[in-house]
Amino acid sequence: MVAKLTGDLLLSRRAFLIGCSVAASPLLTPVTFAAVPGDNRLVVIVLRGAMDGIDVVRPTGDAAYASLRPTLAAAQGPALTDFFTLHPDAAGLMPLWTAGELGFAHAVATPYRSGRSHFIGQDALENGTGTSDGNLTPGHDGWLNRALSLMPAARADTAVSVGQQRLLILDGAHQTDHWFPVSESPLSAQGLDLLNAVNAADPLFAEPYAQAQSLARSMNGEQAPKGGQAYAQLGSYVAERLTGPSRIASFSFGGWDTHHNQAKTMTDQLTALTQVLVALKTGLARAWGTTLVLAMTEFGRTARENGTQGTDHGTGGMAILSGGALKGGRVFGAWPGLSEANLLANRDVMPTADVRSYPGWALRMMFGLNATGLQSSVFPGLDLGPNPGFLL
Amino acid sequence: MRYALDAPSLIEDIRFGYGPKAGTPPSPGGLDPDRLLAQLTAPDPAAEVWNRPPLADRLALIVQSKADNTPDTANSTVGRQLKTIEQADIASFVARPAVADLGFVERLVNLWANRVTVASPLQKIGHFIQSFRDEAIRPNIAGRYADLLQATLWHPAMQIYLTQTDSIGPNSPYGLRKGKGLNENLAREFLELHAMGHGYSQADVTELAKLLAGMAYDQSGPHLNRQRAEPGTKTILGARYGEGMSEIARLVETVAHRPETADAVAYFIARHFIADVPPPDLVQALSASYLAHDTQLVPMYRTLLQHPAAADPTRAKVRSPQEYAVASLRLMGLSGQEQDLPAIAKGSLRPREALTAMGQPPFKALRPDGWPEVAAGWMTPPMLAARIDWAVDVARVTGDRADPVALTDFALGEMATPLLRRAVAGAEQRWEGLAVLIASPDFSRR
Repeated sequence: MVAKLTGDLLLSRRAFLIGCSVAASPLLTPVTFAAVPGDNRLVVIVLRGAMDGIDVVRPTGDAAYASLRPTLAAAQGPALTDFFTLHPDAAGLMPLWTAGELGFAHAVATPYRSGRSHFIGQDALENGTGTSDGNLTPGHDGWLNRALSLMPAARADTAVSVGQQRLLILDGAHQTDHWFPVSESPLSAQGLDLLNAVNAADPLFAEPYAQAQSLARSMNGEQAPKGGQAYAQLGSYVAERLTGPSRIASFSFGGWDTHHNQAKTMTDQLTALTQVLVALKTGLARAWGTTLVLAMTEFGRTARENGTQGTDHGTGGMAILSGGALKGGRVFGAWPGLSEANLLANRDVMPTADVRSYPGWALRMMFGLNATGLQSSVFPGLDLGPNPGFLL
Repeated sequence: MRYALDAPSLIEDIRFGYGPKAGTPPSPGGLDPDRLLAQLTAPDPAAEVWNRPPLADRLALIVQSKADNTPDTANSTVGRQLKTIEQADIASFVARPAVADLGFVERLVNLWANRVTVASPLQKIGHFIQSFRDEAIRPNIAGRYADLLQATLWHPAMQIYLTQTDSIGPNSPYGLRKGKGLNENLAREFLELHAMGHGYSQADVTELAKLLAGMAYDQSGPHLNRQRAEPGTKTILGARYGEGMSEIARLVETVAHRPETADAVAYFIARHFIADVPPPDLVQALSASYLAHDTQLVPMYRTLLQHPAAADPTRAKVRSPQEYAVASLRLMGLSGQEQDLPAIAKGSLRPREALTAMGQPPFKALRPDGWPEVAAGWMTPPMLAARIDWAVDVARVTGDRADPVALTDFALGEMATPLLRRAVAGAEQRWEGLAVLIASPDFSRR
């Protein structure tokens, strides 16, 4: 099917496309890319649903932990430090940890505090807003898009999205492209021309229609990943794009909203997350050395288990850092403690750092963005503070 | 009854229905609020045809399945029966509005079913969703929003979807014995998504979760399981509540009458029908109407239909995939269920798969806040391409005997742009002219 399309495209642009069957992607995960000069690569993963940080990287050295997590912490995982232990289902990440290519930032949060809504929280995370009520910055765009606009040499021609949904984090004024697989064209050239004309005339439809068109013209026969290996293939696909001209990629990774039966869900989630990270490293090969992967979530979960072997929406969460560019093998940030007095509202992990400081410093160190632009435009109200030194 | 048999005018049918249906020419003229509102009390002959099995039947099947004690429920006889019912339910999601005479009624059912969403990707409730639509939503679309909230909160589809069935009062007999506790999911989404949207605290959520603990719905109907209900007083939004179903009802009534709820409902309606960013004066008027009339919806509809924006020929909204597919089926006199169609390779239109590709897999909204209510949610390149796929299929099925120019007139009247008329007329084949019409932004707008 794809080979046929490629052939058609070689024959004539008239044989192109839109309106032809879009191969249904098994991934509901949009991926977006952008190209900038240089060797440094940044992959931002949006962990949707609020990942339970203290289940993934367990503060087993904290005296309060065991009693807060009577069933969830039952199975033992490998020790990371003399204080923290990794979730047993994430043990596949230990080689990365040992190599110094994996780290965690605990007790981080966005500035959003007035509620615990997934939708507001995710929008706040992707928009980069500094408000506590989750109100977005005036452009209602993504912080990664605003960061691109501060990189004078950033290009958009290879920016791509796989899947069905928009990704706010890279939405905005800076042009980014989208990619998806298509098959044969059932309309005549004339019919297509007419369709092009009526779509181009509508301000709402013109841009997505044209985007589909130009990408179908330049596409090179890639197919969306499928089946049980979807996450490994997602990682390989992103790695492949990043070994081409793209330097920044972002995609979402959902399924972290574990209100009940968390242990079972975590097994699947952490297996998939491990697959993605390992596939990225394998696929990037030499380029892994200049890559930072930053996985962030909208907020954390309650320190205590709830009544259904799960956890409810909380505040302080955890970011995952990986890549050859990372000075890893460490758990970053100030640990707030889990005793009743140390919890936020006797309920949530107390945030001790603004999660935005991690992408902030990554953009500063890897792409040369200056502090003023970062603190005013990309992450309004962020105090970058001293260099946390998590990059080599 | 005066208007009950009159077809809607074109603007009424496009903005407040699913577009004109083949064989039923639109009434002339602009927008007449009374004609649309008459649909709410008109007899609906389609109700007989689309009578889906009620909740009681579905619950009986589940009870039977448990009695059979089949280890693999999905493959048991009962499991297959439920699956068959669910598939027919999903088919009716497109087919019923495709052949409906009362388009405004069908739109309102979908509007409220989307505001108070249940969906099947998280929990296996596919076999309950139609009953939720038929028994919790449809009977309440011309009633009080407070009653709609009561019905949706108690429906087993909602109870399971938002994991209320897992929530146990920590000090209830069962909670104490088993060491189990609350699950805040339904309490939170009730306040955030179904009702207020803002103006409540985490403490209110937790206290509400205590009040709701023990809710149950089985063959005996809705009841409170005293073994799981949290004893004692709960303070929610500054008021104290005791125990029992009547206290839950009192809470729902109170929350329904909150000004935050009025504003949220008003905004939702105005955004759904008029514009992604609706006129503030309309939202204000709708909210005031809601509060002045004891949360009744019909006075709100009247306020909406009397606003100048309701009759504006500029169509600012983009049809959802379901609205889009249904509008194209109505135009061609199809239901979407036709089989053995020679014009397309797959033999049938497969609306379920088509809607999925357009971004709206039926009964499987991805999030508890439902499907997108704004254009951006439907405008990604892959989704747009899927609309064009659909247009090409519909055009191929029917286009060889259609007059695309006349159909453009029938579908859009004076709202068709000159460019669209030229493009449709300029196609080299009839079916392609029809594909251009259905795949045009003009046709996707309402």
